[in-house]
Amino acid sequence: MLSLSADITESDVNLQMVNGDYSATVGDVAYATALMKFAEALAGRDETDLASARAALLEEAGANVLVDAAGVAANFQRMVRIADSTGIPLDERNAALADSAIKELGLSRFDSARNTPPGGLKRKLMRLIARPMAIRMLRKLS
Amino acid sequence: MHCFQYDNSPYPIRGGLASAHKVYWQALARPGTWFSGAERVAIAAEVRNAVNCPLCAERKMALSPNSVDGEHLCGTLLTPIAVNAVHRVITDQSRITQAFIDESVAQGLSEEQYVELVGIAVTVFSIDEFNRALGLPLEPLPEPEAGEPTCYRPTLAHRGTGFVSMLPANGAVGEEADLWKLDRTANVLRALTLVPNAVREWMAVGDEQYLSMKGMGQFTDFPDRALNRMQIELVAGRVSSYNECFY
Repeated sequence: MLSLSADITESDVNLQMVNGDYSATVGDVAYATALMKFAEALAGRDETDLASARAALLEEAGANVLVDAAGVAANFQRMVRIADSTGIPLDERNAALADSAIKELGLSRFDSARNTPPGGLKRKLMRLIARPMAIRMLRKLS
Repeated sequence: MHCFQYDNSPYPIRGGLASAHKVYWQALARPGTWFSGAERVAIAAEVRNAVNCPLCAERKMALSPNSVDGEHLCGTLLTPIAVNAVHRVITDQSRITQAFIDESVAQGLSEEQYVELVGIAVTVFSIDEFNRALGLPLEPLPEPEAGEPTCYRPTLAHRGTGFVSMLPANGAVGEEADLWKLDRTANVLRALTLVPNAVREWMAVGDEQYLSMKGMGQFTDFPDRALNRMQIELVAGRVSSYNECFY
């Protein structure tokens, strides 16, 4: 979704931020480093790191950003567990949209990738057709 | 119910967040679909035990979680198999397999109970994580309400996607017509539909913590949020990647 948001808003985003690469934070995502550190500290469950990341995000971006970031991070602590606890595969349509991001980020290395069968010709064709169409449509809507 | 007032929070908490958390706490205390109110609150308590459980910590480090025996840090109301399921969902979810669920079912935890248990565990966890993210104390668990579970099972739910029965993409009809509007949806919305209220409950919290279904189609700024869509997705993606979630 980060890749899609960047394409729709024609923003400069390096997806390697998702993998924790701090050299990738140069671009159009404001407070990217502080947001990444906060997300990691919550998921990593180190309370010292979390307190430090919280203070840094608060100082840099303010209380409203901190609270909304806490909501999103907490939400995805739930979503990953729904997906993995039920073994759902990536939806075929979304897999086509996300195919290039999956490759770029090497997400197939995760255990839970086993729940999604590798895509065939159909997914490749969908990627070529569906992604540009979706971006054009969502750009208009946005 | 007097809860989630956030009076002592050093940060202003959006009213929608406080309200969604409070509504969920009220639902948590009531009898559910396959568990009583007391059992639902006990599942919530196991979420909190799991994050401090020495057995779970040892299993998480092991090459295979099945290679480590022992007893969980846990309460007394739930069966050991239910306790084990909650702890696994919270501490080692990426290694849950079809075999793990089949074995749980063989030992007496029904597929429907597993799905409701997952719904409670993950929703309570996400609310606790919100408080922890902000350095706020966890909300005391609610007092359970008396009554019997409804034992409602949607007739269209069946096996075929993932590890558990769920509604098909075109299955949001009849009693489940409110779950999604079109004849297609994402698998993550279908995942817990064997217990439709579990979906309704997590979605109501998700609408406030993340985005509503309508908001998900929007890719720029949101009038009531301090983060734009790219910032939201950066946090979402980093948490998911840290948890090694492919989905």
